Amino acid sequence: MIELRNLSKAFKGKPALRDFSLTVQRGEIFGLLGHNGAGKSTTFGIMLGQVFADAGEAFIDGVSVKKERERALGKVGAIFEAPAFYDYLSGWANLEILTSYSAPVTRREMEEAVETVGLAARIHDPVRTYSHGMRQRLGLAQALLPAPELILLDEPTEGLDPEGIHEIRTLIQRLNRERGLTVLFSSHLLSEVEQLCDRVAILHRGEKIFDGRWESLATDGSRLALNVDDWTKTARIVAALGGKVLPEARIELPPTRDVAELVTALVAAGVKVRAVEPQRRSLEQIYLELTAGGGAKAGGPTA
Amino acid sequence: MSRFIRQLRAELRKMFARKRTYIGFGAFLAVELLVLALFQLPKVQGAYRQLIEQAGYGFRDYFSGVTLALIVLLSTIFLLGSLYLSLVAGDVVSKEIEDGTMRMMLCRPVERLQVLAVKYLACVIYTFALILFIGLTALLAGVAQRGLGGLFVYAPLEGVFALYEQGPGLVRYLACLPLLGLSLLSVTSLGFALSCFNMKPAAATITTLSYVMIDFIFKGIPYFESIKPWFLTTHMATWANVFREHIPWAQIGEDYAYLLAVDLTLLVIAAVQFQTRDFKS
Repeated sequence: MIELRNLSKAFKGKPALRDFSLTVQRGEIFGLLGHNGAGKSTTFGIMLGQVFADAGEAFIDGVSVKKERERALGKVGAIFEAPAFYDYLSGWANLEILTSYSAPVTRREMEEAVETVGLAARIHDPVRTYSHGMRQRLGLAQALLPAPELILLDEPTEGLDPEGIHEIRTLIQRLNRERGLTVLFSSHLLSEVEQLCDRVAILHRGEKIFDGRWESLATDGSRLALNVDDWTKTARIVAALGGKVLPEARIELPPTRDVAELVTALVAAGVKVRAVEPQRRSLEQIYLELTAGGGAKAGGPTA
Repeated sequence: MSRFIRQLRAELRKMFARKRTYIGFGAFLAVELLVLALFQLPKVQGAYRQLIEQAGYGFRDYFSGVTLALIVLLSTIFLLGSLYLSLVAGDVVSKEIEDGTMRMMLCRPVERLQVLAVKYLACVIYTFALILFIGLTALLAGVAQRGLGGLFVYAPLEGVFALYEQGPGLVRYLACLPLLGLSLLSVTSLGFALSCFNMKPAAATITTLSYVMIDFIFKGIPYFESIKPWFLTTHMATWANVFREHIPWAQIGEDYAYLLAVDLTLLVIAAVQFQTRDFKS
């Protein structure tokens, strides 16, 4: 559905994206993570033809955004950076104006979109009276018109309270499940990405340091919680296997060693092993590890 | 074509839903009524009476509603018209970029040039709507005060002095309005072009107004008589030629060809700038 080939972009000599490639499959929810200034919004801008890449090209459903922008965006709905509206007009008027720039939309379709995002009660009020959450929902409503196959959401939960975040998350899941929408969204909220996405890409200072199923890093079997009677001996054995001891009774083994080797070595040394539990890392832990120390690239599988 | 019309309607809806769009209309209406009120004063009328009677014509016949309307136009349209057109045109692209609504628009499958074309056309419509509003309300207010009558034209800056009977006078007055619109379109075009650059809306407005004022000042410097054709406002003033006894259509055509060439050049500059810039905060 989306193919980004070797995108590079610099603003006034400062690189924002460096040789960034990505593929998003039809029907998936894909998360784009990164710190402020990592290049997430720049990526969205290039996909929408609002930012011109210095090198590389973006394709949506096989159509080049650079060469055929109108055709490429024909089935795309998007929120790029914070949604902005004509505050002096109602939500409904804003939708009418924005949809005039795409294929014709019926009143029924607009009502459905408004209903989907839960804005029916306030849609005819001026946007200047809307809360931040309502503006985000209005942004989502315009992105749903008319009938997109792909939705690009640039930090859709930015500035929302927990209820708002939950609503947006639920909405995205429902749209993906019921309409088969492909969703690419960027976020700082790792917990949200963790709950929504199967695949993520992580940008660090404009470079991709991970792309794939983050679960593969979460449960790679290298981290274990141990319950043993002699930590001194255990530490020596772990070090001998090339691993390291972590805080809170945990250890990390190198990829070349497995649990069986460790347990065998501990038992042979007379250490009583009461429990060995594989540790599942959260996306936050993975993200922080990957981005620490300049962002070494992870060896996770890519799509 | 129908999509273009839908977009144009949306653009006009945005424009005319903003309170600032009406500042020009409101200000001109107030000025018209003030000028007409001041012309009730004997001192003010006296000066005009002298002019008409020295030419050998009757004050009552020629100090009519049409004459008053033309006085309002001649004295206010250039300065105030430029101000309010700069305000709207200087805003039309840059404000949307600043507010982020341009980003929202360009998330849709629409070519940048189409967005620009729709916005420019909306500005053109606004220009002519404003001029027609000013011209027709001045006429109605003038006629309400003094009734219809002959037209006395005294425009020293434009070098025009003429008198017309009621019918021909009214025709010439009404004919000058679209020409005035065409003249002031250059102010609109300049504001619009600057609005496409990476500058704040106020900067686009002030730069437009500054250029027009400086151009006007230069045009008025006696020592620059020989280079008067270089100045935009020289050509813009051609609308007043419609009040000459023998209308110099060739000169008017030449002046508007010059202005339209300037407008087109400004549009091309605007298009190149708009087409090539990145939209990202």
